[in-house]
Amino acid sequence: MQFTIEVGRYNPEGTYAPQAARVESYPPPWNASPPRHVQTYTVELPEHAVVLDALIAIREYQDESLAVRCACRSAICGSCAMWINGHANLACKSKLSEFTENGKTRVECPPSMPVIRDLIWDMGPFFAKHRNVRPWLEQKQPVPGPLEEYRVANESMEELIQEVSCISCGACLMDCESYAVNANFLGPQALAQAYRYAADPRDEITNERLRSYSESGGVWDCTHCYECVAQCPKNVAPLEQILKLRKMAVDAGFTNNAGTRHADAFANSVKHSGRLNELTLMPKSLGFNIVEQLRSIPSAINMMRAGKLPPLIHPVIPGIERIRTIFQRVGGRFK
Amino acid sequence: MICDHDVLVLGAGLAGMRAALEAARNGADVAIVTKVHPVRSHSNAAQGGINAALGEGDTWESHAFDTVKGSDYLADQDAVEIMCSEAPRDIVEFEHMGVIFYRGPDGKLGTRAFGGASQARTYFVGDITGQALLVTLYDQILKAGVRVYEEWFATTLLIMDGSCRGLVALEMLTGELHLLRSKAVIDAAGGLGRVFEPSTNALICTGDGYALAYRAGAPLMDMEMVQYHPTTLAGSGFLMTEAARGEGAYLLDRDGKRFLEKYAPSKMELAARDVISRAETTEIAEGHGIDGNVLLDCRHLGAEKILKRLPQIHEMALDYLGIDIIKEPCPVRPGMHYQMGGVKTDSNGATSVPGLYAAGEVACVSVHGGNRLGANSLLDTIVFGRRSGKASVEYARNVVALQGGEELLRAEQQRINDLLGRPYTGETHARLRLELATMMDQKCGVYRDEAGLEEALQKVLELRKRYERVAVGDKGRVFNQALEFVLELDYMLDCAEAIVRSAIVRKESRGAQARTDYPDRNDAQWLKHVLVTYRPGAQPVISYLPVTITQWKPEVRTY
Amino acid sequence: MKVAFFTGCVSKGACPELYASAKAIAQPLGLELEELTEAPCTGAGVLSEQNPELADSLNGLTLAMAESKGADLMTICSTCQGVLSNHNYRLKTEAQRLGRVNATIGDQGYRYSGSTNVKHLLWMLFEDIGLDRVRAAITRKLTGLKIAPFYGCYILRPVEALGLRERPERKTYLEQLIALLGAEPVEYRGATKCCGFPMLTFNREASLAMGGKHIIEAKEKGADLLVTPCPLCHLNLDGQQPDAARVMKRKIDVPIFHLPQLLGLAFGLSPQELRLDRHVVPTAAALEKVELKV
Repeated sequence: MQFTIEVGRYNPEGTYAPQAARVESYPPPWNASPPRHVQTYTVELPEHAVVLDALIAIREYQDESLAVRCACRSAICGSCAMWINGHANLACKSKLSEFTENGKTRVECPPSMPVIRDLIWDMGPFFAKHRNVRPWLEQKQPVPGPLEEYRVANESMEELIQEVSCISCGACLMDCESYAVNANFLGPQALAQAYRYAADPRDEITNERLRSYSESGGVWDCTHCYECVAQCPKNVAPLEQILKLRKMAVDAGFTNNAGTRHADAFANSVKHSGRLNELTLMPKSLGFNIVEQLRSIPSAINMMRAGKLPPLIHPVIPGIERIRTIFQRVGGRFK
Repeated sequence: MICDHDVLVLGAGLAGMRAALEAARNGADVAIVTKVHPVRSHSNAAQGGINAALGEGDTWESHAFDTVKGSDYLADQDAVEIMCSEAPRDIVEFEHMGVIFYRGPDGKLGTRAFGGASQARTYFVGDITGQALLVTLYDQILKAGVRVYEEWFATTLLIMDGSCRGLVALEMLTGELHLLRSKAVIDAAGGLGRVFEPSTNALICTGDGYALAYRAGAPLMDMEMVQYHPTTLAGSGFLMTEAARGEGAYLLDRDGKRFLEKYAPSKMELAARDVISRAETTEIAEGHGIDGNVLLDCRHLGAEKILKRLPQIHEMALDYLGIDIIKEPCPVRPGMHYQMGGVKTDSNGATSVPGLYAAGEVACVSVHGGNRLGANSLLDTIVFGRRSGKASVEYARNVVALQGGEELLRAEQQRINDLLGRPYTGETHARLRLELATMMDQKCGVYRDEAGLEEALQKVLELRKRYERVAVGDKGRVFNQALEFVLELDYMLDCAEAIVRSAIVRKESRGAQARTDYPDRNDAQWLKHVLVTYRPGAQPVISYLPVTITQWKPEVRTY
Repeated sequence: MKVAFFTGCVSKGACPELYASAKAIAQPLGLELEELTEAPCTGAGVLSEQNPELADSLNGLTLAMAESKGADLMTICSTCQGVLSNHNYRLKTEAQRLGRVNATIGDQGYRYSGSTNVKHLLWMLFEDIGLDRVRAAITRKLTGLKIAPFYGCYILRPVEALGLRERPERKTYLEQLIALLGAEPVEYRGATKCCGFPMLTFNREASLAMGGKHIIEAKEKGADLLVTPCPLCHLNLDGQQPDAARVMKRKIDVPIFHLPQLLGLAFGLSPQELRLDRHVVPTAAALEKVELKV
């Protein structure tokens, strides 16, 4: 079968083939990413072929200058993550037949990452975030003897298989919206690994971890949008791990943050009235952060002008007793 | 640029990183040189598990015997004894580092059955054991702060006054060549699967470490012992772990019969890999296969077991063949997988070249002899990675740092420039490699004979000549992968030649070497290792080393 | 067609224009709205994360209420859709979970047996009401308008719970609808991305930069307005737009319409009925293009 591939190429030395046509710049905030020179190739491959098969065929038989990282071809090494039709995926796991849109498949290094050449990107920032969460076991003391393992329940090890499956491909960070607007955010991969160690019963510094992950750039800088879950090729589901970390952190007492206050205010509102009270949610979440409280005033005024401020006395829904009973029974700290 | 360290480690897989960690712990200024980021190393593809005689009622002697028998008695038994007796401590050490091994109900490490083992002693993490070990070890390297020259491609070792004093590497990011000087070098650059097509190996397994050591004067041993894994996915050749059979899967012919009854009636699907690969090849050749494959049947294991213990291969079969192994049997065939042979070392990783050490798949101690048992490779990497790390530091303590070496850097620069300047003649590295690798699979694969091997040798020599006309199809400086691939092909040709020459010399069948013209094992004449030593501008020299026997006299090997 | 109408909190709070316009389009679409007046807030994912069992019970109660009305549960908010779908998916596939929920709510007059379907109005237009009915209700084509769809994360992800594997076409309903109403859908990357609302109280700058980025991208591709099926997105994209403009250091001024408002215009209802005069970002310029005054 014939497949058409459009490759968004970039050469730091500025040389391009004459056939490399359209130059495409990216919209803000990625306008700083160098524009790509788009070159189109056609390849003849079996119908089950994946995008990586096409790239290798191009590199081996048509254009030796096409630079792409790849090794295992079977989704275990994590080398070949790239944008395929604008979304992060592993090239070796993406069937050409499924990804052909309007007769072609488009690949490029995403503008969210610094490009080195063609499909090869600088993974420095990615691995730096990984390192920042102290992703190694700080052994719980006392360490058992040299022929004695830590005794732990199998479930506690199986719980971590999902996170240990991470092959550091970068797909999650490529498409992370929070990271796109906030480079300080640790990001889905690093936080998934943070959970892996925070939840390991053999780790000594769990509390220290939870405190540091609750700080700026940590778990509360995630916008909860599930992009990373959708794009991760190994089902690590980084967002799920971030949410577990949030819960662990709050349960451990790291509650002096907008995230915890937000959840508390939310729960109290629902318990009291059955509904979310937007009027009080913002100020309650911000707590004593005067600067942020002041910052939120202009939009409150805009809402008031448009007649969109909810009533001062928040109505209680009929049948509220049921809700309150539920809270009594399973509300945990929200009782 | 010129940099100095005490110890350099080439390769960042399990052996390389374990060696580096040990060197760091022993106070050395150690740096890793790797052509890919550490977590991309092919160690991540190992699936099934890692062996150790840790369990109740198990003994390291039993593990050692299984290994020796599995090797078809070619393994050096003193080295096997060391590996098997030290295995328990090494496994526990990795558990202490944080590996999330499977546990039994008592919270202690739990095992699964594996090929060639007289009792279950394979410790595992789902079917991603290699991945789990590799990422944990990488995290430890981060913790220890070991320097990594990431995406630097080694082009030659530096030999001065007969000892190894470092290497020259191409920094992919800038295209610059650098001289890295050290007092010792540990070669842990992994396997050579790409010399065969198909192979389970990654594209990066191009035999760099074998060729670099070989050209530096270190002999290669038992290169003819190339393992074909019995269950590689039809078409792509991807590895379908032995653990499937460890959990109880069957191998069936086209009529649904478990054909291994004829070849390994006692162990059946858990016999040694060479035995099963030969069985499959024979069955397929005799018309009992389906389109050149046999069937791996996991249906009776049940969905829960498959999804919990074998999730990776379940997904692989689904992704690449559209087959759900919970519901259907899966076509598999033997595929080249592992090189038992390699750079000859002692049990401390030392080669015959002072200052040059080797560990992992690239090395041949020999612990695997003529055939490697499943789950022994991961063990090999961590035991001998550790030992060579320690030994290299002790050696380095007595070595004075080198001044000089710039001439080699200049010579390498010239060589690379010449390579880049070659005009295009129609020969490409990709076509040449495919010719080489398909030929090796056909003539130097599961079954071999004199005529085929001689043809293979001629072909390798012909390809060598044609290699001189291969041009580099990219002239850039930044990330010139074409240059990298042309250099890798050079290494692959050396490896192929060593493999074929060794196969020709060994006139018997033993382990993975199955010669239809010499179908029997011949201990009287061939209980010895075959070594190939490089001679610049001339044919390599063949020599022999006796096999070290300690406890186990060679016996007839049946499963 | 009878539906168990789940209004969600915001349409009864900070986005009353959503509730008003949803009610207004019921008749042209032949929808009989049985409002679930006693159903609680879904928790918007916040409660699910902090106390999964609590969120299971609250949403289990809502699902049971719909079940007792013998009708599908209709949402008008992507977030409600996502959270209810997630909990419904788990309750339908994990018997133990369902058992625990029923143990908690069982003596309150409701038990859930797992049969409720949760569908956003957007999906119902295509899958239950039918496009023929929608077409028949159109009296005013929105020709001349370039409209950018903004889905809201929770109506697109995670994929399993939302039935998107079985019905991938759900990922393009907004574009299809815009074209059906006579307008031109704008293609841009931000259509499926996050508006930033969940982060508004944690990191205001980042939250507004997210939403601002998408609106600006749509504007640069020629959009006259954005339409969204999620009032929480609406709060960030419309309510916070002036502040987002400050963060992005750009003028934005792109009005954000709720899905029922767009439908209502095409069905001939007046901008006043649809409360298009009650937005933070004025809608007048967009309405002028179809010769309407707000």
